[in-house]
Amino acid sequence: MIFNSLTFLVFLVVVLALYWVLPRRPRIWLLFLSGLVFYGFWRVEYLAILLASAITDYLAALAIAGSANVARRRLYLGASLVVNFGLLFYFKYLLFFAENATGLLRFLGFDVAEPHFSVVLPLGISFYTFQTVSYTVDVYRGFIRPERSFPLYAAYVVYFPQLVAGPILRARELLHQLAERPPARLEDFAIGLRRILSGLFLKVVIADNLAPLVDAGFAQPIATLSALDVWTLAFLFGFQIYFDFSGYSHIALGCARVMGIHLPENFQFPYLATSPREFWRRWHISLSSWIRDYLYLPLMGAQVRDESVGGLATAADAPSERRRTAALFATWGIMGLWHGANWTFALWGIYHACLVYGHRVLAPRFSRLPAAASGLLGWAVTLPLAMLSWIPFRAETLEVALAMWAKLLVPTQYLALGMRENTYLVTALVLLGVIGAWCVREWGIPSLRRTRVLWPVVETAGWAVVIALVFVFLRPINQFIYFQF
Amino acid sequence: MTSPDSVPTAESVPPPREGVRELAVLLAAALLAALVLYALFHGKVTRFEDLGLGAETSAVFAQLDGDPIHCHDMTDVAACLAGFERRGAGAAALWLGNSQLHGVNQYALGQETASARLAARLRPVGIDLLTLSQPNANLVEHLVLYAYVRDRLPLRLVLLPAVFDDVRDTGVRATVASALADEATRGFLAGSDVGRAVLATNRSTADPDLAALDQTVQERSEAFLNAWMERHVELWDLRPEVRGTLGVWTRSLRNSLFGITPHSKRRRIEGSYAKNLEAAEALLADAHTRGVRVIFYVAPLRGDVELPYVESEYARFKQDVRGLAERHGAAYLDLDQVVPAELFGMTAGRTLGAALEVDFMHFQAGGHAILADQLAGALDGVGGGERS
Repeated sequence: MIFNSLTFLVFLVVVLALYWVLPRRPRIWLLFLSGLVFYGFWRVEYLAILLASAITDYLAALAIAGSANVARRRLYLGASLVVNFGLLFYFKYLLFFAENATGLLRFLGFDVAEPHFSVVLPLGISFYTFQTVSYTVDVYRGFIRPERSFPLYAAYVVYFPQLVAGPILRARELLHQLAERPPARLEDFAIGLRRILSGLFLKVVIADNLAPLVDAGFAQPIATLSALDVWTLAFLFGFQIYFDFSGYSHIALGCARVMGIHLPENFQFPYLATSPREFWRRWHISLSSWIRDYLYLPLMGAQVRDESVGGLATAADAPSERRRTAALFATWGIMGLWHGANWTFALWGIYHACLVYGHRVLAPRFSRLPAAASGLLGWAVTLPLAMLSWIPFRAETLEVALAMWAKLLVPTQYLALGMRENTYLVTALVLLGVIGAWCVREWGIPSLRRTRVLWPVVETAGWAVVIALVFVFLRPINQFIYFQF
Repeated sequence: MTSPDSVPTAESVPPPREGVRELAVLLAAALLAALVLYALFHGKVTRFEDLGLGAETSAVFAQLDGDPIHCHDMTDVAACLAGFERRGAGAAALWLGNSQLHGVNQYALGQETASARLAARLRPVGIDLLTLSQPNANLVEHLVLYAYVRDRLPLRLVLLPAVFDDVRDTGVRATVASALADEATRGFLAGSDVGRAVLATNRSTADPDLAALDQTVQERSEAFLNAWMERHVELWDLRPEVRGTLGVWTRSLRNSLFGITPHSKRRRIEGSYAKNLEAAEALLADAHTRGVRVIFYVAPLRGDVELPYVESEYARFKQDVRGLAERHGAAYLDLDQVVPAELFGMTAGRTLGAALEVDFMHFQAGGHAILADQLAGALDGVGGGERS
């Protein structure tokens, strides 16, 4: 089910009404079944895969917890990983690897036929796979005990607000909140509603209206784009994907909040980050922390400690610099491919690894700068570099991405403009809007809040505009971009 | 399980009375939003597609014996095709174009558009002319409509205007893109790069408002709920009107802020330009293969004021159109100065508070007569049976 639709609004009202009246056991069943209905409204046939993944980890976790034998525990964990990543590989990567293997064999002179099959990617498989895997790994690591109630465990896996595009939640963040309903509080309800409205605004009013400009720009032949066009498209798509995905996350957090359930933040003004490292503490936080805990730290050989708050564990030991760097690049390559079976995503990941590594190496040289200057310089460098990463992320092929990047290195490519005038105008306006929104949040609202009359008037008028625009633009014309991952 | 204390919170929870206040604000805001929308848009119906025609220009779509022979797009093309079937003509001509074909300045009852005039002149020689025109239609859209029509009509002739303004865009509007639901149309488009790009970037869903739900279970529930809302909630039904008005306001604001007028130079957008010519080439090549004659002409423009184009770019455009026509056996006509300036009209101002502005595109019935005559004359030359 897509959030920006009437169907979802009706579904949410019905689920909420039942959630707040049902006693514990039927309420847990409600959460479980509502997740299945939510998912089934997209494609019923893929419910079986979702359930297969969930059941595998339910059984694996119980088996791991029930065994004192280290080898057996490893075997159960291995079985879970094979099933989960096997499904993910089959649906997401098989065709990609088959095509690449065919290409390689042909390059080596073998006469191999093109692979002729197609697989439809089950919605949200990357998200729920990571979620279920984290559950089993946490049980294996001894951080949590396995959940014995299948409906409760399954409700955690298929919890509809975050099922298809995150935030990717750890069991310790959600299970106990699903098990015991929090007391009903108007404050939660108000915050939840505001977040749902904000998310819908970001998605249907901003992201969906940026989409045609982005699509038109990326559909142009590369030869007709200048370096300024590439920069513009990088920024514009950067804004589109940010509003699209953060909009989704707002709605997800809002839906949970109206149930009294608190989910961790997934975005914190990422385009105001002052370093690549900080960018990843502000962008898709649940994924970057998952990757850190379940991939980067193990690859680095660091022991993970359960001091997690908001999903960030810490490394107990400091590994060698070389191993740390190798783990960084390997992690980012995998993180790139997590987004999609295309070398463009791998390039995107490696590019970000370069940024993080570059920052790690260069940052100490600027440590004597005053904090304000360092922050400003960091932002001025980080923003365009982060935006450039969206070129391979959005480009159809590696060749297109590299050709677009190559334009940036040619000085004469900065002398022309090749797109509709509106594209530049809108990009500039949105950039100013993002900075303006941050300023309003940091300084405008706090000072307005101190006024007795003006604040309620401004607040009401502001929300009236948001509600009117959401009402007018609410149409499922575009999927959320992250649905495809 | 771990303790709930480790749960991160999205925001700190405000005191209970703050929750009541915040809900009250939302409720008041929702009421205010509904009131404003209702007050501004209740009962308002704007034909946004005709806004570019100007204050004194009317949209005129010709009919013959009660059947339309001039239609907009996929919304009414079936009526045009049904009329053709009823008349039982052995051969068809198709005229694709922008609002120049249906816009008549200072229209008076009884006056005719160029398409009506040309249809009357072709009928005696057994050719039934159908016209499809949309405001600012680009050549990619023409290709899509041609793809839809080519197997539904015994085509003998295609009239294809080239308008420099319109090749700055390659978007396919929803009312044209719905042709992509047709298998034959998709099949034809899949045969060219530009057609494949159209298929890749446009969805073929019947209802563009539900495009993201194509072939999902939710598509049905959403269609049902939408229909229910349209029947029972007036504000819901007003939404297209509000979206259109917001678009017009935004454009006016932009034009005012940046001083954009009809005289402002519109430069060539290389990517769009190339794609439009590619679309024209796909159409010309197919028509040539099928033995369909094509007249590819540069559309009439107002000549008494400086053109809103860069001269060298416009000259190259005409050269490119001519080159394409010659490569694919089509007739080329340069008609950009055939309609006298006094037959062109004025258009509504497109900046905030602006009065009338010069219209470069739409002319009076006299201009339509000239255009029809020019094309009919060219048909004599193109060869053979269409002498009127």
